[in-house]
Amino acid sequence: MNPPETNPVDTVESPGAGWLVGVDVGGTFTDFYAFQANSGRVLLHKTPSTPDNPAEAIIAGLSGMAQASGGAFDPARIAALAHGTTVATNTLIQRNGARVAMITTENFRDLVEIGRQVRPKLYDLRADNPEPLAPRAMRFEVAERVGPAGEVITPLDPESLDAAVAALAESGAEAVAVCLLFSYLNPAHEQAIKARIATALPDIAISVSSEVQPEFREYERGSTTLLNAYLQPAFGRYMGRLKAAMAELAPGAPLGINQSSGGLMSVDRARSFPIRTAMSGPAAGSVGAIHAARASGAGDVITFDMGGTSADVALIRDHAAALAFDRDVAGFPVRMPMVDINTVGAGGGSIAWIDRDGLVKVGPRSAGAVPGPACYGRGGTEPTVTDANVVLGRLSGHGLLGGAMSLDEDAARAVVGRLADRLGMSIERAAQGMLQIVSANMVRAIRAISVERGHDPRDFALMAFGGAGPLHAEGCARALGIRRILVPMAPGILCAQGLLVADLEENLVRSQRLAVAEGDRLSALVDELMQAAHRWWQSEAIAPERRGLGLSLDMRYAGQNYDLQVALPVAAADDPGPLPDAAALRALFFAAHERAYGFFNPDDEVIVTALRLSARGKLPSPGLPPVPEGASRTPAPRTRRPVHFDGDAAVETPVYDRAALAPGAEIPGPAVIDQFDATTLVFPGWTARVDTALGIVIDREAAA
Amino acid sequence: MTRPESPAPDPITIEVIASALRSVVDEAFIALMKSAYSTNIKERHDHSTAICDPEGRLIAQADRSLPIHLASMTGLMRSLLARHPAHTIAEGDVFVANDPHVAGGTHLPDINYAAPVFVDGRLMCFIVNIAHHADIGGMVPGSMAGGMSEIWQEGLRIPVVRLFRAGVLQDELMDIFLLNARIPEERRGDHFAQIAACRLGVRRLAEIGARHGVELVTRVFDELCRRTGDRMRAAIADLPDGEYAFDDVMDDDGLGTADIPIRLKVTIEGDRAVFDWRGTSPQVRGNINLPVNATQAAVAYALRALLDPEIPNNQGVLDCFEIVTDRGSLVDCVAPAPVAARAHTSQRLIDMIIGALAPALPDQAVGASNGANTTAVFSGTDPRTGKPYLYLETLGGGFGGRSDRDGRDGVQVHITNTSNLPIEAIETEYPLRVLGYGFVPDSGGAGRYRGGCGLVRVIAPVGHECTFNGAGERFANAPWGIFGGGAGRCGRFVLQTGAGDTLLPIKPSAVTVPEGARISVETPGSGGYGEPALRAPEALAADLSSGKFSPDWVEKNYPQGTNQATLAPSRAGRESPATTNQQREDQHQ
Repeated sequence: MNPPETNPVDTVESPGAGWLVGVDVGGTFTDFYAFQANSGRVLLHKTPSTPDNPAEAIIAGLSGMAQASGGAFDPARIAALAHGTTVATNTLIQRNGARVAMITTENFRDLVEIGRQVRPKLYDLRADNPEPLAPRAMRFEVAERVGPAGEVITPLDPESLDAAVAALAESGAEAVAVCLLFSYLNPAHEQAIKARIATALPDIAISVSSEVQPEFREYERGSTTLLNAYLQPAFGRYMGRLKAAMAELAPGAPLGINQSSGGLMSVDRARSFPIRTAMSGPAAGSVGAIHAARASGAGDVITFDMGGTSADVALIRDHAAALAFDRDVAGFPVRMPMVDINTVGAGGGSIAWIDRDGLVKVGPRSAGAVPGPACYGRGGTEPTVTDANVVLGRLSGHGLLGGAMSLDEDAARAVVGRLADRLGMSIERAAQGMLQIVSANMVRAIRAISVERGHDPRDFALMAFGGAGPLHAEGCARALGIRRILVPMAPGILCAQGLLVADLEENLVRSQRLAVAEGDRLSALVDELMQAAHRWWQSEAIAPERRGLGLSLDMRYAGQNYDLQVALPVAAADDPGPLPDAAALRALFFAAHERAYGFFNPDDEVIVTALRLSARGKLPSPGLPPVPEGASRTPAPRTRRPVHFDGDAAVETPVYDRAALAPGAEIPGPAVIDQFDATTLVFPGWTARVDTALGIVIDREAAA
Repeated sequence: MTRPESPAPDPITIEVIASALRSVVDEAFIALMKSAYSTNIKERHDHSTAICDPEGRLIAQADRSLPIHLASMTGLMRSLLARHPAHTIAEGDVFVANDPHVAGGTHLPDINYAAPVFVDGRLMCFIVNIAHHADIGGMVPGSMAGGMSEIWQEGLRIPVVRLFRAGVLQDELMDIFLLNARIPEERRGDHFAQIAACRLGVRRLAEIGARHGVELVTRVFDELCRRTGDRMRAAIADLPDGEYAFDDVMDDDGLGTADIPIRLKVTIEGDRAVFDWRGTSPQVRGNINLPVNATQAAVAYALRALLDPEIPNNQGVLDCFEIVTDRGSLVDCVAPAPVAARAHTSQRLIDMIIGALAPALPDQAVGASNGANTTAVFSGTDPRTGKPYLYLETLGGGFGGRSDRDGRDGVQVHITNTSNLPIEAIETEYPLRVLGYGFVPDSGGAGRYRGGCGLVRVIAPVGHECTFNGAGERFANAPWGIFGGGAGRCGRFVLQTGAGDTLLPIKPSAVTVPEGARISVETPGSGGYGEPALRAPEALAADLSSGKFSPDWVEKNYPQGTNQATLAPSRAGRESPATTNQQREDQHQ
């Protein structure tokens, strides 16, 4: 079963203009979203991924898109290509990165193995954290020590460095991570070690912690650096292949690689810092969601990206994604700015089962692509979320992917029926129950990112995307008290679209403990970061009118150990202007503390622990997509079918084609809206409206 | 109007509401962690959150809650309801307590908070949290060190008191709490974090009550406890009937009593499990005594870990076993027994339960772990600021060998799972320098699957003289192996000065550490699993190449010696055998 290769959204001809292309490489499909600025033409495309060399699918897809568009799209006319990649993530999950060594401060080589000295599961006597990627025999020590003020306590001992370099040569390492205590305050020793290794062992890839992420907390910094080193050789090779292939296909087109923070970086940055791409895919989704939300006039949204095996949720406020700075990737902690995404192990393929206490659970086990849900007719024998949707008539037997794949309703009823029999309830009630449990799991994750950060989810709209998001949005929205659901124009391909609208971005940080009153030192750090930003703008050839800037402080009460990120106003797009004074900084912190924790102590000492600056290079952004031909403000339903919503009985429900909906169309629930790769449900008591960006806005009616 | 008894909620409704309850305790847990001041809570996560029903039953606990806090939560609720019957409790009340003898606590630094949740004027449940404050007053900074013989020396005793009356803070009470703590500003921050966690929980639970109705939510409480109890009893019934006995000893109580015996006889009869601790030593003068509800928490932990790690934590688990003790014994102490270091004893009880049930559960059992809650407390006056400081840490150690894999090196075990503090945080916050942090060589017991190694951390005061207090266990009685496995190495505290090393007592109190001297904290390793002779040659080779074990030690503890182990080729001599150099060269070609 292959989906139709290309789905042209319009057919306006405008030869000779450059194309912007977003390419999102997923586990199964590589998605393309291409946009031609002067014609407004948009092309969507999917091609099977090629995990052994993901560049192949990219090249094949670009050629395929050229063919399918009848030559309107020409790879040689690519003005810029933005790429989201799972290469780093997969390398970590499959543990097939480089043979990697580590160099640490003397007497601290065990730090990265001890970690935080905790077990991953309190009650499970068999659950262990993963072994470090560099085994103990490949962790070497050098005599040196920097203190908590950045002062050198013990100078770097040349003999111990010689010994470490010799051991490194002997070890057969392909890459090495260097992480010394307090290097974020004084990188001199790390730099000296890097220079020495680069000279002595030029074939070994080197990652040093003061460059990868110069921040407080030696274990997290060391772990991040070790992961980066582990990824460098393979990722570097991939970047090389991609660059070469693109140079042939689209000479001169700049290539941007998506980072976990949502911004793009150049191929050369990506080679040095592959760990920055670890959360690249979901980050692109959230950038796409920001763009779609902006087009639909919403500033604060919670994103809900549900696919086959899992769902990602993230919070967007004032058109910006919340960032997290610590998370686990493949069992290892990573510290760097990443779009704050919670992942829940529940998707369309998740399996419902009865636990030993008789309670029903859904997921995290999934039927995956093979055998898949029972309704796929490929041998699945357990009830999945997709089967429950089929039983309820929410998904039609006519199928997915524009009818390319039909669904076996009898098989779905059989597996859900067995669950219903064991529970002593009707088959529809069991199916509804499965979906309620999925919603409850989602709601926990959404609460984790909103309530815990001091936000009330009721103030947000829920943006549903991914193949299954628009099917399940209503249950989540209702449980959270959310009254507006947004479904973007292309929910199945939003990540690729997000890549297209992302800016180039470099996140800079100085981690240092300072009093808010130390204005001179803070300003000096801002100057330092601005110099680095200017160097980056120049190296990436970003003209002044395309520059952008974000400045924030990590602040906390003296004695607290969790920081709050406090955004500061900036004077101009490439000039932060003078810093607010101490009183103003305190006031900003108090407001953030009040919002996050519900209180603040006006008399306590406030300190700054880090200064963050994100330098941006704006890229051209696609405008509104054209309205499909034949779309109408008063569309007629394509068909009708009985659908079970919340009640005991099915409701005869009109089914619309998404492509038939023009801006201004208004569809009261109950209704089903089908499109190529997603199905949107409009529940009774809700009304859908199509906006000028072709997004669907579904509002809960006042009385409902 | 009378209404028929509503039918029991179906399994889907129960799961949906239970999920909402879990969400609340997890949110409260994070809110407390994020807004607390002390590193103890923020970094080490020495805190827990839970929901209890109006009868004091435990309904849900945050995933990351500590097992030992289970005891304090139910203990607090029993004392609270005994002192304050439900009809006297008002909306907006907040209760506080910590005392192990009159308020159900397990030691004084754990301060318990409980706030009632009302829906339509009806008491639906309580949101409860516990946080370990870094100091609660008493004789010694940190309120945890040995050398105390009465509870009054250990700090401020708080019976169940109302800190908020119908929403109004009783400032005088807070003033007492703060006046009795060594670093009041920090403690105030921690109290307010606990209050904030209560408020969040009350608000969220009230929403759940309003959405589903108190009636249904209450029915769900009943169902959760009943179903969990049934599930645990079914697991007990799968054990072979019989009596399983195990004896062990505590090293000492810090006040001269050494080798303190603990006796256990477990009787399994159908789905009934009785844990009989009679014959255990009477309570001791030192602070390692356990209130009986801490003994109950240790049994609950061990059963859950051995039989069903995924079972929900609620009253159902606590109600499905019986405990028999001598009142006034080490495992059921009475006032004025000191209890600050009770976690050591909890750890020992768990090792013993696992040891006792090993014949019935050979696949689940593990060698004795480090069996301690090795505590190190450094205090003094920061020469940079002139302010007093206090740095408390509990260190992990070896985790015992298992039936199919080695034990884990340097982790917290069993009843505790607190993080360490980053070295860069210690040195930034306190006038201390960490000189080394790593595994203790030769500390994991030999075995087919070896025990995990202990940790060593060396700390020196910078520019001043500081005070060290500590508490160790398994510093004299080594953690034993099972099914033929060898014992792990004991821990120790050493004062290192220019004049040489001084071995400190197992529970050292108020040791002066002059400038230039340092303290080395070595935690115990753990016992191995199975005959050492059966250890795989590759595993033995890895023990040597990693440097975690010396050739001499391997020769002494494994009958096959280093011969087999060194067969694996290793050009560098410090190579993991998993990928040999030869293989690697092949790959490169």
